Amino acid sequence: MFGLPGHGMHLRLDALSMLFGCILLPQTVAAAVAGMRASVPFWVFVLGMALTLAAGDAFTLILGFELMSAASWLLVMQGDARPATLYAGIAIFSGACLIPALFLPASSLAFVLVALGAGAKAGLAPLHSWLPRAHPAPPAGVSALMSGGMVKVALYVLIRYAFVNLASAQQPWWGETLVAAGALSVLIGALRAALEVELKAALACSTVEHVGLIAMGLGLALYAKASGEAELSGLALQAALLCAVAHGLFKPLLFIGAGEVKHATGTTSMNWLGGLMRGMPRLGALMLLGAAGMAALPLGPGFAPEYLLFHAVISAAATGGILARIGFSATLAVLGIGAALALAASVRLVGMGFLGRPRSLHAAAAEDLRRGPFMAMTLLATLAIPVALVPGLILSLLNPVILLLAPQALTPPLSYAPLTLLVLTGLAALAAGFAQTRWGGRGLREAPAWNGGFGRPPAWLPFGDPRTQISATGFAEPVMRSIGRELLGTAPVDPAERFLLIPLIRAQRRGVRLAERMRRATIRERLAFVFAVLVTFLLALGLGRGG
Amino acid sequence: MSLTFSLAHLLGGIILLCAFLQLSQRRLAAMITLYQLEALVLSAAAFWQGFAQTELNLYLTGLITLVIKAILLPWALREIVLRFNMARAVETALPMAVSMVLGLALIGIAVLVVLPTTMSSVSLTREDLAIALSVVLLGLLLMIVRRNALAQIIGFLSTENGLVLAAIGMPDMPFVAEFSVALLVLLAFLVVGVFLLRIREHFDTLDLSGLEEIERRGR
Repeated sequence: MFGLPGHGMHLRLDALSMLFGCILLPQTVAAAVAGMRASVPFWVFVLGMALTLAAGDAFTLILGFELMSAASWLLVMQGDARPATLYAGIAIFSGACLIPALFLPASSLAFVLVALGAGAKAGLAPLHSWLPRAHPAPPAGVSALMSGGMVKVALYVLIRYAFVNLASAQQPWWGETLVAAGALSVLIGALRAALEVELKAALACSTVEHVGLIAMGLGLALYAKASGEAELSGLALQAALLCAVAHGLFKPLLFIGAGEVKHATGTTSMNWLGGLMRGMPRLGALMLLGAAGMAALPLGPGFAPEYLLFHAVISAAATGGILARIGFSATLAVLGIGAALALAASVRLVGMGFLGRPRSLHAAAAEDLRRGPFMAMTLLATLAIPVALVPGLILSLLNPVILLLAPQALTPPLSYAPLTLLVLTGLAALAAGFAQTRWGGRGLREAPAWNGGFGRPPAWLPFGDPRTQISATGFAEPVMRSIGRELLGTAPVDPAERFLLIPLIRAQRRGVRLAERMRRATIRERLAFVFAVLVTFLLALGLGRGG
Repeated sequence: MSLTFSLAHLLGGIILLCAFLQLSQRRLAAMITLYQLEALVLSAAAFWQGFAQTELNLYLTGLITLVIKAILLPWALREIVLRFNMARAVETALPMAVSMVLGLALIGIAVLVVLPTTMSSVSLTREDLAIALSVVLLGLLLMIVRRNALAQIIGFLSTENGLVLAAIGMPDMPFVAEFSVALLVLLAFLVVGVFLLRIREHFDTLDLSGLEEIERRGR
């Protein structure tokens, strides 16, 4: 094999890489079944991710990581060339941070570089602004794998280095930094997910939010591990890893569904969808499940990790100095806002896309799922059900990983049993139904339902005028008015773009202008420049020696 | 012994004066005359060093300098001036006074650099070296402050004179180096002469500001 001279390549599987492999496997199968199985870059992409996960040394890891970046760049480029350039820039940046970091001795510098490199690739704020542009560009299967798999691989690199390889130099501030970045991602991601009109872009923003949740869990665990809080580190790791598992199931499901929406209607703009539940009932049901996961509703797959994370943040707020306490309490508020916004985004996704009346003829004439995507989504949904209903079992399977990452961590049993809850709710509903049929009023009485002011379509417009329905933009307006304006400005621009990308573009333009000016310099100006350098050198020499 | 160095310093000083005066001349003819005088004194310095160091090579250097730089090149330069009808004032890019102040500053820098850096060396040629470096820097300055191509060539030749002055002041300098430098200058002069003819053919002037203007607009 090839590798570093004298070292070769090593593959190694431990509990952590097995876990991420298990996260990766179902979505790869689903994406392949959904229509990507003939694409060569897709399989190179999968190979790169697998190589990263199974790597036994730094060289193999970086080889797999870069293979993954290059192949996914090709796939993004097939969809849209403009975000592909931005994506390539981010990929190069993350490679440039990771390559030195992997070969540095364990130190804080190495951690900062790993966090920058892997964080940029995972879409962690403030380096997230490329993600809502690049992830929606390629075909749905690839979007699914990028959102569900690639960010997980980047997080895997972060976990592998922060918890295992750099463990000897751990500092509490590493964790606090990660928590801060995660909180920022949660806020921005959830807010943008609630405002984005494009279905796939909204899903990508929600990915930023979930990456933020996972990063918060990891940061808490790092903080707890460095300051010796056994129970907190176990709780936070449970939250982070379970969130990764759940997100790896419902996000590809939603992305493949969005691809099917695009296939059936020709658009993913929620302002032109609506009423798809009637034409595509199977897709609607599967998307509803995914949206429940995205919103972290109880009985959905996303609830248990969020619940654990809340617990972890609450118990972290009782540790450390006064500043740490204030910080963690503020994080709790951010987490709450994030959960509320995620709920708004999910309600908007289902309500605007699948309920109501069609807003275009294409949406009215949509046909249900094709066979491949249906099988793919069913597979993911089937796997999401145990995560939703028996999270305790999944957590017990995660125990070896947690012990590998934090050997002294305690893992308390989960105090949330959705299966019991479901059975009890079902029993209560059955009893209520029985009581109603047994003792309730007899006979049918027809009464006009109040429909929120939304009446029957007039006879001359069979689907109704689209403008009489509230649009996706209008639905998000209250969110925009209450907190969107303060964070994104009146013309919604991501703060990361305004404060990071645009100044960067401006600096680059200035540099180009300077270079152009130097290229146009006349002979005399060039001579004068060389002469000035020479004189400066002589002067430095003379003053250095003489003085 | 002391006569050797006093005379060498005197000759070096005259060369430096010539180089400095070139900065202040508006007319090409005067610049060429000053260059000729500089080359003449340089060859005298080479002969004197050859006599003092009893080195045959230095006589040869002096001879080459005398023939090529003091006779051949000034003659060719005068030919060019006559043929191109350029016996009028040369245009300067900087005001005369500013360039002279800059020249003074450069001489100061050269002395400031050479004297402390060579403190450890035994040889008494340190002042000679400072003068040579000043001449080199002044030649470069001349190339920068003049727009006319011919004036820039004179600056280049003056720079080269400074190098030769440094070389003859050093004992045990291989003759090949000086010889090759002299040959190189001759070749460069030929090439530049051809260039001048072509520029003249195209633009009817040797003022390079027109060329710069075209370059700026063309891109």
